[in-house]
Amino acid sequence: MIVTIQGVVKRFGAVTAVDAVDLTVADGELFTLLGPSGCGKTTLLRLLAGFYQPDSGTIRFGDRVVNGLAPYERRIGMVFQNYALWPHMTVAENIGYGLRLRRLPGEDLARRLQEGLRKVNLIGFEARYPGQLSGGQQQRVALARALVLNPDILLLDEPLSNLDAKIRIQVRAEIRRLQRELAITTIYVTHDQEEALSLSDRVAVMRDGRVLQVGPPRDLYERPRTRFVADFVGTNNLVPGEVESRSAEGGDMVVRTALGPLRAIANGAVSTRCVLAVRPENVALGAAATGEGNRVAGRVSLVSYLGSTVRYDVETAAGLVLKADIRDAWHHDPLPVGRPVTLHFPSSVTLAVADDA
Amino acid sequence: MRSPRLALGVGLIWAFLILFLVYPLGRIFYDAVTDEAGRWTLANFHEFFTDRFYLRSLWHSMILGVATVIASSVLGITVAFLLVRYDFVGRNLFSYLTMIPIISPPLVGVLGFTFILGRAGTVNVLLMDLFDLLRPVNFLYGIHGVVLVETLHLFPMITLNVVDALGKVDPSLEEAAESVGARGWSKLWRVTLPLTTPGYVAGALLVFIWTFSDFATPLVLGVQDLLAPQAYLNIVQFVDRRIFRMGIVISALMVLLAVLFLLAARHYVAIKDYSSLSYSRVARRRLSAGRQAVVVAFLSFLLLLSFIPYVGVTLASVGKGWALTPLPVAYTLQYYERVIVETPKYILNSFLYSGLAVVVCVLVGVPIAWLLARSTVPGRGALDAVNTLILAVPGTALGIAYIRAFHFDLPGFDRGLTSFWIVMPLVLAVRRLPYTVRGSFASLLLVHRSLEEAAGSVGASGPRTFRDVTLPLIWKGILVGGLFSFMTSLQEASAVLFLALGGWESITNGIFAFYIAGSANEAAALGVILIVVAAISIAVINRMAGTRMGGVFG
Repeated sequence: MIVTIQGVVKRFGAVTAVDAVDLTVADGELFTLLGPSGCGKTTLLRLLAGFYQPDSGTIRFGDRVVNGLAPYERRIGMVFQNYALWPHMTVAENIGYGLRLRRLPGEDLARRLQEGLRKVNLIGFEARYPGQLSGGQQQRVALARALVLNPDILLLDEPLSNLDAKIRIQVRAEIRRLQRELAITTIYVTHDQEEALSLSDRVAVMRDGRVLQVGPPRDLYERPRTRFVADFVGTNNLVPGEVESRSAEGGDMVVRTALGPLRAIANGAVSTRCVLAVRPENVALGAAATGEGNRVAGRVSLVSYLGSTVRYDVETAAGLVLKADIRDAWHHDPLPVGRPVTLHFPSSVTLAVADDA
Repeated sequence: MRSPRLALGVGLIWAFLILFLVYPLGRIFYDAVTDEAGRWTLANFHEFFTDRFYLRSLWHSMILGVATVIASSVLGITVAFLLVRYDFVGRNLFSYLTMIPIISPPLVGVLGFTFILGRAGTVNVLLMDLFDLLRPVNFLYGIHGVVLVETLHLFPMITLNVVDALGKVDPSLEEAAESVGARGWSKLWRVTLPLTTPGYVAGALLVFIWTFSDFATPLVLGVQDLLAPQAYLNIVQFVDRRIFRMGIVISALMVLLAVLFLLAARHYVAIKDYSSLSYSRVARRRLSAGRQAVVVAFLSFLLLLSFIPYVGVTLASVGKGWALTPLPVAYTLQYYERVIVETPKYILNSFLYSGLAVVVCVLVGVPIAWLLARSTVPGRGALDAVNTLILAVPGTALGIAYIRAFHFDLPGFDRGLTSFWIVMPLVLAVRRLPYTVRGSFASLLLVHRSLEEAAGSVGASGPRTFRDVTLPLIWKGILVGGLFSFMTSLQEASAVLFLALGGWESITNGIFAFYIAGSANEAAALGVILIVVAAISIAVINRMAGTRMGGVFG
């Protein structure tokens, strides 16, 4: 089922929570709305669910305009952040409630209930109450409750945020597996960029009610278009500057910054004032770095051992601090604080992005 | 989509509130500022404020209220802290027993005291025998007696609210105080007590208003120069129209003062809402053997005092020839026979009226709670305010307001509403509505909205969601609120004393009538019946809701 969102606006008093959003979600796609709290992602999801009605704009599920329809008329399945399992019903009653509302014949109901329980590995838990389940199990009940109805659209509102780190990764994989298996159009809301990258077919980054950038995870990580996206998705060194010269095609450019002129590439339109984004894992450290590319001198100001990497904070003469990650932590002797070093990063990983801060 | 039906519901609720609360109260205010011919005048208030007797009554009422609040606060807060923060022998038992005083119906409590501590009561008889006192000690008759009786009756109200508030204080706040060096009294005084003020203020306000508007207790103890007894006496004499009007003026003044106190308390609490709903609790401290003995002795003495009315009423209900002896000389069940078998109307009427009142409370109160907790209809603030206002309006004033407002002939009848018995359950329902609203509202807040939204997402419509999800999760709260309303309706002694006509008498009417007529034993028998019903209700409420009843009063 294709979901089309056109010019949707939602205001709460003076606050515009969703501001003229246009999005199209492809059939069977897992589409994530990513952003900090208050960016409007949950409001947008609730507009899709029908808990809110848009002030203007249209929402279509396939060819059907769903504006004005109540949640129970939309054929959606929704998984809530706090699970929202009914505490007075057993696992089987929770999952079967929607089926009973549809007045399915007895054996049909039992078959689909069993199927739902099997999908989420909860066979044997039918008679338990939600209070007797672990967080991960509760989340799977919530998922099964949404899926047994074979909804057109599956909506997930930060479904993993109440789970422990280990369980979270496990349930995340399970959600992805189920979603692929059922090929159900899914819209997923999260503020966790790692979750968004690992799970999604495409991600929309939101801020202040607007969509800043939409693309597959790799695009967002490697080709952010704006400073906000570069900063929010993963870790980036951000260096403001002004474009000095551009190549004929507009791809390669030289940017004047506090660190001196740096060679960069641009993805899309960049005006004269811009920001350079360089990921720490793309910054090499030490005199050994050779070849063409950008070089910046500085002193080590902080060393953080992160297990899989060692992160250096290097303070440059201009006072700007750049981060550099050393991947092979096992065979690396940490440099002392105060040691002068040279940072090196090729122009191919130095992205010029629009400054929207 | 549902808005026409929603609007109809909201309209009906407001119609009920306006007709049975706003209009009658407005009527007595109108009377207070007009003369016989309906002309606007301040003469009534001028008369009140230039009459030395009325002024003294006002002054005494204030003193009585403040003194009772102070005394109940000292007892109530001490008991609350002991129960919540310390562990000692019999702590659980004491925490149940301290609830018992509030279940004693107001009239019954004071009667019980007179049997034991009165001029010819057990204690004075013993004292005179043992020490050859010539005159009995006056424990009760006078303002000091009213303070004693009201305090021993009402201090659990403070205890409940403070226990509830203490439960909501995040232990880390106290730990933080300790980490910067505050200990013992300093921590208690600067951190813990201030954190419980919102709950405490709510309890103190109820104690004040209760005492301020109670006319039966002072009258039984021979105190007349207070506002509430004056209002009562002026109204029931019914002969002199001018004095009758002054009764109405006093009622209006009482409502006005009560509302002012309510607003002041609300203002104070609103700027100090500290509750943080934490799940961890401060661990109880085990007391040393010596201190345990002191605590147990204190609580036992307090409870002994609180139990005086129960002992007195129970003895009087079965005792024969109890005069100038410490205990009755013979025992009989004849008084029970009289009030249960011979004239069962008191009990039947009370159960009928209170039962109907609860039905009305649920029909009006649950929708109000739903509107407050879930909807966005305009006027929710006003609805909440009116609901809270009811808690502050003295029953005496509401009873008088009904007499004044509903004596006109109803269309189609040649009689007013005050000559139909339905006015009794109606006034009870209005008086008890806040308990139902608060009980249901608190339960609704515990049902997270997403539980209802989840039902919507799997295909349940609004009414269906309410039936399958909301109702199963809140019915206990509604039942607890309803049961509490029922119990307190049975005990209502102020408004119904004005409204009851021949044949409609409730249990409290019976108690008052028997007592006035000198048949204290029959009054006591009815009192014991009230106590038993209340004790059963409280036991059920406790089983269903745990001991956290504070919310109902807050």
